[in-house]
Amino acid sequence: MTRLIIRDDPQTASRYIADYIIERIKTFDPSPERPFVLGLPTGSSPVLTYQYLVQRHKAGDISFRHVVTFNMDEYVGIPREHPESYHSFMYKHFFSHVDVRPENINILNGNAPDLEAECQAYEDKIANVGGIELFLGGIGPDGHIAFNEPGSSLKSRTRVKTLAYDTILANSRFFGNDLDQVPRMALTVGVQTVLDAREVVIIITGAHKALALQKCLEEGINHMWTLSSLQLHPHPMIVIDEDATLELKVKTVKYFKSIEKVATEQGFRQMLPRIKKRDSVHEEDDFLSAPKPQRNGLTLAVPAQDMSRSASPALEPMSARISGNEANVFRPVDLNSELQFGPMSARVAG
Amino acid sequence: MPSAVRAMGSAAVTGRSGVVKFTNCLLVKGADLVQEDLWVSSVTGKILNGQEILYGHLTAPDDIIDLGGRILSPGLIDVQLNGAYGFDFSVIPEDGSIAYGKGVQQVNRNLIRGGVTSYLPTLTSQRTEVYHQALPYLGPSGSTRDPILGSESLGAHCEGPFMSPTKNGIHNASVLQIPQDGIASLAICYGPSNLTQATPIKLVTIAPELPGALSAIQSLASLGIVASIGHSEATYEEAKLGIKAGARSITHLFNAMKPLHHRNPGIFGLLGTASSSISKPYFGIIADGIHIHPTSIKIAYNAHPEGLILVTDAMRLAGMPDGVYDWTNGSRIVKDGALLTLEENGKIAGSSIELIDCVTNFMNWTGASVPMALKAVTETPARMLGLEGVKGSLQEGTDADLVVLDVLEGAVGDDKRVVVDQVWKFGVKVHDR
Repeated sequence: MTRLIIRDDPQTASRYIADYIIERIKTFDPSPERPFVLGLPTGSSPVLTYQYLVQRHKAGDISFRHVVTFNMDEYVGIPREHPESYHSFMYKHFFSHVDVRPENINILNGNAPDLEAECQAYEDKIANVGGIELFLGGIGPDGHIAFNEPGSSLKSRTRVKTLAYDTILANSRFFGNDLDQVPRMALTVGVQTVLDAREVVIIITGAHKALALQKCLEEGINHMWTLSSLQLHPHPMIVIDEDATLELKVKTVKYFKSIEKVATEQGFRQMLPRIKKRDSVHEEDDFLSAPKPQRNGLTLAVPAQDMSRSASPALEPMSARISGNEANVFRPVDLNSELQFGPMSARVAG
Repeated sequence: MPSAVRAMGSAAVTGRSGVVKFTNCLLVKGADLVQEDLWVSSVTGKILNGQEILYGHLTAPDDIIDLGGRILSPGLIDVQLNGAYGFDFSVIPEDGSIAYGKGVQQVNRNLIRGGVTSYLPTLTSQRTEVYHQALPYLGPSGSTRDPILGSESLGAHCEGPFMSPTKNGIHNASVLQIPQDGIASLAICYGPSNLTQATPIKLVTIAPELPGALSAIQSLASLGIVASIGHSEATYEEAKLGIKAGARSITHLFNAMKPLHHRNPGIFGLLGTASSSISKPYFGIIADGIHIHPTSIKIAYNAHPEGLILVTDAMRLAGMPDGVYDWTNGSRIVKDGALLTLEENGKIAGSSIELIDCVTNFMNWTGASVPMALKAVTETPARMLGLEGVKGSLQEGTDADLVVLDVLEGAVGDDKRVVVDQVWKFGVKVHDR
């Protein structure tokens, strides 16, 4: 199910994600033959997360030596060394500070002679390393993920994308307020490329993203809010700050907070069972050593045992569940007394 | 960066790229200390564009140097150094020029430990034979880009002998000359072969009011030699003519020139000029606490902060015990601590201070920030010498001459002290405290 982690502020939310990623990499125990494949975003939301990752790397807590990275997107037609290029962003905020090997860094080349071929090659490269283990992302105020702006196909793959005029206007502040300097196109991974990752982690902070979060979390899947497609993913996690909850229903917020609280009281953080599951995946060596090219989401679907371990109801039936159970869920006393009868998964299944 | 690319391509065969990354450090960039990494090549000896190395050459650093939050600055440049470690650039040893050359090399190796990675070996006013013998050994020495050789000469500074006989300081008045025939007079004095396009001379201190001096200044500028006004009785107007003729700098401002007078501001007046026909010159300052009052330094700095260059004007007695020492031309110098005076008349006779201590003094006296004080011994002298992009900055493509500095909080009040922890020359560490 969707895990929604709510923290007081962007700092603690970002730290949660950094810690989570580090724990995932460590548990994965990557090697040159079996690298951890990490999808990475740019933008203002993940800056703090990168800061914490760098901090912990410098403290000797984590090495990225055997991590392969794929970035989400890059502008078309601006030099790689342009201060606003996503190459520059990634260099400045992450790659120059950590030990990711240069040959393991993958960022779309917006100056490739054949952009279509570049996009296809990018998909192939992802497939050849066995798919993305964890894709970190952010969203825009209109709910877009990467450059998959409203109306993007939810089945889309890496491709050339024309930017919306609003986006060009908004970006002009980074290009000396000169509209002519703003790139008109970008290369971006598709919605489906993100959904193919075994795990997707999204950071959303700030009141200006609150409506987008509400649309993507509480309403149905809709190509006008491309992140809503996350509801189709078996293992998404959204980490937000309090400001981002402003448009959510109070009961949605309380529900997800209670899930996390109960999970903690039960002695496991929500990530732990997942990591165990990942380990079980790794025992199936052929799964990773002989990856199949990904042409749709199904090939990278997490194995069946993953699904069976899903400890909580998925998002869709939530409203139904809440109406039936809300007295139990939202009254701490009831909740506790119920917990004495058995583990949470049992309760939820019932 | 074509050279860096080539070098790295060949180094890739051996499996080492020669790329060094400094991290956890504060880079001196303009008026700021910036928390950033710096990438250098020990192969080309230059500062690299880390992003280009990473994405373009897929090269990871061989070595990552964690500086623990210390300051990483361009190496220091001293444009006025008369000698050091017992060696005087103006004295040809009795066993001849071979010994002289060895002496210069010795100075280079010692000097770099104090963070001075390049400098102008400076000749005080001498008889012509001394120039002819010494200058061939004082020209730019960095062409082999060998870090082992130590500090690098950027060319000689000829301080005289074309100076005012009444502002000679401790220079022997009997050897002073008048540049009657302009550059021809200079050629006879320094040696014609030393005033060609491949000249070993980088800077000449000259008094602009002397007959023929303005024409000589024009010719020097066309040879790429910096003319610097100094040891001069020039009025403000005469000094202005010197700048118009092409002089770019003032040699040790305040010392050996008329003081500021409110009706004739003299050479110092150039720092306050409102004239649109000349630009304010660079100026050397000896911040040793003996040559100039701290307040005078502050006034000059306020008048023209972009022009201030800290110099030591140090001579060979630096670091030697107190006592009386023979000097050139039969004179003797009394050393009493940092104070050096001429025995016969008690005049100040150069200093024995290290450049990094000038930085400390300057900071404490003017309230300048660490990066601003360092600018006066790195970026500003490099610009004065026309070496921007080669020395004195941390920009890509500049020589990787670097110092790692620590700032110690002083015991008294707010005083701070800058100390040199490490010195890197052409991308290679050559000294560690």
